[in-house]
Amino acid sequence: MTWSIRSLAAASALLAVTGAALAQDIFVGYQIPLTGTQSQYGEVFRNAATMQLEKFNAAGGVAGRKVQIVYEDSKSDPKEAVNIARKFVDDKRIVAVLGDFASGPSMAAGEVYGKEGMPQLSQTASHPDFLKVSNWQFRNITTQAQEGPFNAKWLRDGGVNTVAVIGLQNDWGLSATGEFTKAFEAAGGKVTTTELFNPGARDFKAILTKVAQAKPEAIYFAMFYEEGALILQQARQLNITAKLYSASPFYAPKLIELAGPAAEGVLLSTTFVADSPLPLVSGFVADYKKRYNSEPNQFAAQAYDAVGILLEAIKRVGPAATRAQIRDSLAATANYPGVTGATTFDKVTREPSKTLAKLQIKNGKFVLAQ
Amino acid sequence: MDPTVLLQQVVNGLSIGLVYALMAIGFTLIFGVLNVVNFAHGEVYTVGAFIGLLAITALQPPLWMVLGMVLLGGGIAGYVLERLAFRPFRRFRDEASIKSKAMREATLLSSLAVSIIVREALELKFSGEMQTIAQTYLLQTPIQLGPITITDGNLIIFGLSVASLGALQFVLYRTRIGLAIRAVSNNVLGAQFVGIDTGRAITATFVVGSMLGAIAGIMVGLYQGAIFPQMGFEPGVKAFVAMVMGGLSSIPGAVVCALILGVSESVATQFFSDGWKAIVSYSFLLLTLWFFPSGIFGSKKEKM
Repeated sequence: MTWSIRSLAAASALLAVTGAALAQDIFVGYQIPLTGTQSQYGEVFRNAATMQLEKFNAAGGVAGRKVQIVYEDSKSDPKEAVNIARKFVDDKRIVAVLGDFASGPSMAAGEVYGKEGMPQLSQTASHPDFLKVSNWQFRNITTQAQEGPFNAKWLRDGGVNTVAVIGLQNDWGLSATGEFTKAFEAAGGKVTTTELFNPGARDFKAILTKVAQAKPEAIYFAMFYEEGALILQQARQLNITAKLYSASPFYAPKLIELAGPAAEGVLLSTTFVADSPLPLVSGFVADYKKRYNSEPNQFAAQAYDAVGILLEAIKRVGPAATRAQIRDSLAATANYPGVTGATTFDKVTREPSKTLAKLQIKNGKFVLAQ
Repeated sequence: MDPTVLLQQVVNGLSIGLVYALMAIGFTLIFGVLNVVNFAHGEVYTVGAFIGLLAITALQPPLWMVLGMVLLGGGIAGYVLERLAFRPFRRFRDEASIKSKAMREATLLSSLAVSIIVREALELKFSGEMQTIAQTYLLQTPIQLGPITITDGNLIIFGLSVASLGALQFVLYRTRIGLAIRAVSNNVLGAQFVGIDTGRAITATFVVGSMLGAIAGIMVGLYQGAIFPQMGFEPGVKAFVAMVMGGLSSIPGAVVCALILGVSESVATQFFSDGWKAIVSYSFLLLTLWFFPSGIFGSKKEKM
């Protein structure tokens, strides 16, 4: 009798343990700035991640098991990012990590993840060296190595033979001007002038006057939307009539708000288009607006897809996935259908490639360019 | 080289120079009277721009009313600034403490502290982003003069610089408070001896100087289409350089040097990469200090 009770107890304990293991959730870490000067971005990432996670869990999760995201506030500070990385690595429940926001903290944390073997997927780190930190880094943002040649081909196909390039003098701007110039010249076009300006510049009339002297058919702006708005206004003041082109950082409603009529006619490429007719995108935009009462921007879309890509990678391996298995599964991501276009990670470099859309600003709106 | 391009660059440079000049006027006025650098002048400029922006967004008044509100707000900002960052360090009225270096350096730091607090507060409230300005208020309508293009903003800023200078000369040389300001500027102790309320004269200097700074902020903000919490920093540095080149307490000198700075930066862009233009302006500063140690327009005799 005692024997049978004991065995029963043991059996039930065993059952309880396996039962608990079956019901146990899968944990993913997400490090983003939730306080400090860049908290507005972290907020957007968390909003988008929550939407994607709820959708994924509602659709059955990983073989019936739910996934949870553990958020940590990196304040966009590399030191803080490293501390969080150590914490995530030591937490045995966590199988993969998302984030950080800026390239600096992402790379600092990446050193830890690379050494300890934790897959890391950043929605935004676009520094050329981010993926070179180790084999454990991934990103869901196109780099200028993809956008530059895409835009160069677009200009050439549109019959543009001569172009002037104006770019921001930092890592990003140099790669943006460099990649574009290389591809444009390889396609038989001529770059008349390349001008770089220091971050924080506000008066571009001297540059524009110099650049316009060579009468290029088009001007290519490798910069973000704030300087972009100023340079567009000043180009209009100087009656510059060249066609104006730019890359994805121009895709921000704020650009049109700031530049007003000066933004009319500007051409740019981007991965995410909020008023795209695709049901996937319009559903995301409508749901986001309903929940958070604001329009999702490019950042929200990138985080939404980054979370989706990671969850799918975990799902492909199954509920007992290890960190190493998830890394390999992430590396095999191909044609993930996201709101920022179909995404494939390169077999060798792990760089994402996405379908880019061509846009034009017309009547104060971003519309698809023909 | 195409002469019209060069001419356009000179015009571009004059319009940048005027921006620096507008900022330098108030800056130099305060330095001339107290012999201390007011590091918060850049934030007075920013505050002026934000007051104007709030007025525009809330009430859509005509431009002259915006300017009136900014003048008022700038004056108040100057008064508060003097109360917070300068007056507490002027408790003693004896000769030793008035001439003490420590006193001057204390206000250097206290004004820097005020500037940081104001900037961060604005950033908390409005975020670091450039603010959206109603398009109708922007001073960006191009005006074609033969081969040269300018904007209405250039003309308005030019007019405003002239008016500011004129108004300042009027206050300094035609009013009693102007006389008091000049007396304090000349010799604080002497001014006290003849019964001038030096505290009041100094307050008046700050009010007038900050009104000019605030007006500069809103005008440049509307001209460039860029109003944001960090906007005061760069013109502040350039105004400081212009003031030093101009001889520290000469307002016309600072204005002329601000124009020289703007034109040299703009013309330099024509020959070098834009990233190098700062070298040109700072080389000018070094050359001035080597060959004219008391500034191009500075008086030989040491003040105070």
